[in-house]
Amino acid sequence: MFLRRPHLRRVAALLAACWMCAAAHGQEAKKFEVAPEIRKPATEGKVWGALLYGSSSASGASVAKDELPKALQDLPARLGKVFHFTHFELLGQHTQDVFREYESWVVPSKDLFLKVDSKGRAKDGGMNLHLQFWREQQVLVKSDAILRADSPLFIGGPKWRHGQLIFVLMLTKDED
Amino acid sequence: MKTPPDENDIVRWLDGEMDAAEKAAFEAELAADPALKTEMESLGTLGALLRKNVAADPPVPHADFFNSQIQVRIAQEEMDRRRQPAGRAAAGGGLLDWLRRPWFVAAATAAITALAIVLWQDRGAPAAGTSIVLSNYTPNPEVRARAFHSDEANATVLMLDGLSEMPAEHKITGHRVFRSETDQEVATTTLFSSDGHVLLVLAKDALDHPRLLDHTP
Repeated sequence: MFLRRPHLRRVAALLAACWMCAAAHGQEAKKFEVAPEIRKPATEGKVWGALLYGSSSASGASVAKDELPKALQDLPARLGKVFHFTHFELLGQHTQDVFREYESWVVPSKDLFLKVDSKGRAKDGGMNLHLQFWREQQVLVKSDAILRADSPLFIGGPKWRHGQLIFVLMLTKDED
Repeated sequence: MKTPPDENDIVRWLDGEMDAAEKAAFEAELAADPALKTEMESLGTLGALLRKNVAADPPVPHADFFNSQIQVRIAQEEMDRRRQPAGRAAAGGGLLDWLRRPWFVAAATAAITALAIVLWQDRGAPAAGTSIVLSNYTPNPEVRARAFHSDEANATVLMLDGLSEMPAEHKITGHRVFRSETDQEVATTTLFSSDGHVLLVLAKDALDHPRLLDHTP
């Protein structure tokens, strides 16, 4: 009974195909799995990434120096020169290999994280990188950058509570 | 034998695009054929479901770039239009004729741009050995990215203006990630704590967007 006429079936099929595509798309978005065997890709170097909360009220824990790389022992003071907050709290940190031919993820928090693609070594040292700064499911900025050892990149993220979330990325040396 | 309604008419009726007369005639046809009416109601239900679940206006990829290119083109055409009467009035020559020539605008623009780039590079050039941001793109047009080097902080800064605030009640959970394992075949990265516990698993969805599965107890 339902849609006996061929031309109506054609219209219905078209509508249904669109709908199924949208539905399948939604289903696909939820799939993921973990592989049993892990092979490590070739690496280009290492980066240290951290998420900090800057504010002018010292409500959270201060940054412990033993949590910072050697070259960034004065990180709170340096952040204070740019963001003009008096207190910085280290929310999370992640030291990550930068893969030569594969994306790397620096995830100190699932709220704000960074995708890093290596574009090879820079001529005068450092690394050419393509960066994507993500806030959950949304990419906030895509950047091309040359990152050099001991020269951090501060990313001013969204405001939160009485301050601001700040992402720090630095190319590390082996001793870090 | 009745002639079945045209597909175009069916779609127009479903989308409510018929005028009053057409609609009345079409609905009279439906009233005379209960089976057809039932089928059209089924189609109507399907159409309503689609409208509810599929965006009618999907976002245009790189819309901001596309818009900026259109604006540049409009500005160029406007400039050409304004230049034409002046060019005709001055026909016959004059000492400053060359100023009105089309190539002069392009040449002057190029020269000014080159000068601005040189001056900007001299002004903002970071010292050797520092990190540099070469380019930025923000998909959200309300967000502006500006990069600069802070001598005081001895750091390169990428400032994002116009971001929406994180809700104050939202708890930001940080992790101390000690090591990670990446599997290229299934595009997953597993992040571990210093004591070997899985903190997060990052995978990709069908849109190639990251999905993070939190393993923190």
